[in-house]
Amino acid sequence: MWSATRRFSGWLVVTNLAAWLLPLSWSDLTIPALCSAGLRTPLPDSFSLALVFNSPMQLAWGWLLMLAAMTPPLIAAPLRHVRERSFAHRRARAMSLFVVGYGAVWMIAGVGLQVMALAAQLASSDTLMCLALSAAAAALWQVSPAKQWCLNRCHRRPQLAAFGVPADRAAFDFGLSHGAACVGACWALMLLPLFAGQAHLLTMLAVVLFAFAERLENAAPLAWRCRGPGKALRIIAAQARMHLAPRTTGGGGQPFFAGLVTTGGPLEDC
Amino acid sequence: MASTRRNIWELGSDWADPILWYARGVKAMKRRALDDRTSWRFYAAIHGIFPPLWQQYGYLSSIDTPPSQADRNTYWNQCQHGSWYFLPWHRGYLIAFEAVIRDAVVALGGPNDWALPYWNYFKQDALPPAFASANWPDGTGDNPLFVEQRYGPNGDGNVFVPLSEVNMNALGEPDFEGVSSGGSPGFGGVATGFAHGGRVHGAIETQPHDWVHGLVGGGLSPQEPGLMSDPDTAGLDPIFWLHHANIDRLWEVWRQNPATHVDPSKANWINGPASTGGHAFILPMPGGQSLTYTPGQMSNLATLGYNYDDLSAPPSPLVARLERLGIGVTEATAIARRTAMAKTVELLGANTESIRLSGAEARTSIALDPAARNRLSTNLNEAARTSAVPDRVFLNLENVRGISDATAFNVYINVPEGENPANHPDHLAGSVALFGVRKASAADDKHAGDGLTYVLDISGIIDRLHLSRAIEAGQIHVLLVPRNPVADEAQISIGRISVFRQSN
Repeated sequence: MWSATRRFSGWLVVTNLAAWLLPLSWSDLTIPALCSAGLRTPLPDSFSLALVFNSPMQLAWGWLLMLAAMTPPLIAAPLRHVRERSFAHRRARAMSLFVVGYGAVWMIAGVGLQVMALAAQLASSDTLMCLALSAAAAALWQVSPAKQWCLNRCHRRPQLAAFGVPADRAAFDFGLSHGAACVGACWALMLLPLFAGQAHLLTMLAVVLFAFAERLENAAPLAWRCRGPGKALRIIAAQARMHLAPRTTGGGGQPFFAGLVTTGGPLEDC
Repeated sequence: MASTRRNIWELGSDWADPILWYARGVKAMKRRALDDRTSWRFYAAIHGIFPPLWQQYGYLSSIDTPPSQADRNTYWNQCQHGSWYFLPWHRGYLIAFEAVIRDAVVALGGPNDWALPYWNYFKQDALPPAFASANWPDGTGDNPLFVEQRYGPNGDGNVFVPLSEVNMNALGEPDFEGVSSGGSPGFGGVATGFAHGGRVHGAIETQPHDWVHGLVGGGLSPQEPGLMSDPDTAGLDPIFWLHHANIDRLWEVWRQNPATHVDPSKANWINGPASTGGHAFILPMPGGQSLTYTPGQMSNLATLGYNYDDLSAPPSPLVARLERLGIGVTEATAIARRTAMAKTVELLGANTESIRLSGAEARTSIALDPAARNRLSTNLNEAARTSAVPDRVFLNLENVRGISDATAFNVYINVPEGENPANHPDHLAGSVALFGVRKASAADDKHAGDGLTYVLDISGIIDRLHLSRAIEAGQIHVLLVPRNPVADEAQISIGRISVFRQSN
């Protein structure tokens, strides 16, 4: 089982790396960045002109490439759930159906997000302004209960039918529902690379790291509050502390409480 | 100075000195205000608190001064369930609680080596009498060990643990850490971060821990669970601590029988959840101090300064299984000692629809995948021929949801139609109490509404089906029999019932 898990993780990493490397080696296939479409004409005409420079097919491929680069870390856990809860001979099929469902939701969402990005850029030639507005939208969404609602659903691991068409449908439906939750959680963040111009690859990397890190947190009650990669930062801090100042363990005949009991105030950051 | 925890039934009398001092210590803690970190209610809230239920039972009112937000964040709602931290967290909890009680006992003029007794229900299934009476031994009321909301397995206030429904099979688990992929959840649970209620309960947690919680607490209705039935009220019942002392004892029994049983060596377990960005384990101690600890510091009883009077182990269930498959007892014992967690887990079969558990029983059938079933049969045939370790088979109750933690039911396999399952104990796959299911079913809380998953070892039953060739029918039939009829309003559902095989 452990070797199977390693194989599975290996495939995800390979897919992920390929998606990052492909744009560097194939100039026609680029991850969408719409800054070049900053044309000053009436909006409908501008859309038409923009689509001349960025054909729908090119945009679709670019968006797909962006998903391949950004989503594997986000779907590793649900894919593992699908794999573990399916018959051995159905695993590849079930995982593929999950990915198709998940990807379909993101492709549909991509139309909306790219139209939104295109409209914003056509309305204002100030790319920095677009980026700032999208960052503000992402920040507002980030602290909202609605974001938590979506994140909670990203943590769901439903029961899956095991046999026949119901099994196929269950895997596909799980992909759809997980994709919808993922779009809900990340739509605002995904706008950022679209406005980042030459820095879009770097922005994508930052966004995917952020999105992955924030999912390390457990599901939580709905509330307005700051949320983000806090747990990831705590992991880094804890590991650094442990390596810099290794803890002493009990033993050596010392009384147990001597080393562990402290005059205690609360842990303010728990 | 090391103290010794003893079986409460073997202390000499119903109100032997250690019990009397425990009652006095509990009374002292109960007198303290809620915001006192060493008060009874503060300590119970460390395990978990659900304010509506506390208010309903009179443990919380508007005149209480709540602890500071920082204290609540630091200390409350810490209990670890569905996690490999289940045993070490509760060991620390017992140590700190014992220190608080001992401090109160000493202040009242009692012995400074007072130790928490344990309740070994495998030897004596009745509730210790000191907990069953509302009176002190002199006949006066206000016995602090008595709680009204302790309803027992039949919901009638007669509290006992039916011996036919508890077992120590978990002690046969070869590894502490299990898997969450359908195979054995291990003796101590599956790897998690800080888990105030994880999804998959470890073997010792499911049985006897959960089951005893559910049966001792019982319930009158989904809205009226016994204190012990719900993790958010369990710590309010004084018997909680004696039950957990027994679970703690069983951890040490497992470690010593045989010596190949060892605690996890992974850094994440040894250093605890704080090392991976989670909440630290921290508990109040007497004198305004705090105990901050890691699982690795909870392993060695000698270092911790206490022990148990009885660490004898029951016969190994694995040896019995190997004998059943035709392997001699000497060889079987040798195999059992070298057996480790098998590596490969695969789905063997599943039912087709979710189940709603309501009323007196529920039934479903599990279809087995022919290819996986053949692999299992081949393995079991070869095990008998080559003395190889046979595959293990596990029944999974996946995504169990509901709002009544007091629900408890037995799971039977292939009981003949129309027969009373109680007359077929060899068909009993296991017993499940839904300790923690309410919280686990809330969509917008830590579980994301996935509910709980229970894993029952049904290797023995599958062996018999294999030997009788009944497994070739390609289906097994599951019967769920609640201890007490389940009200529809309890909303108990089981997402899927599946069977997994685990092999090398």
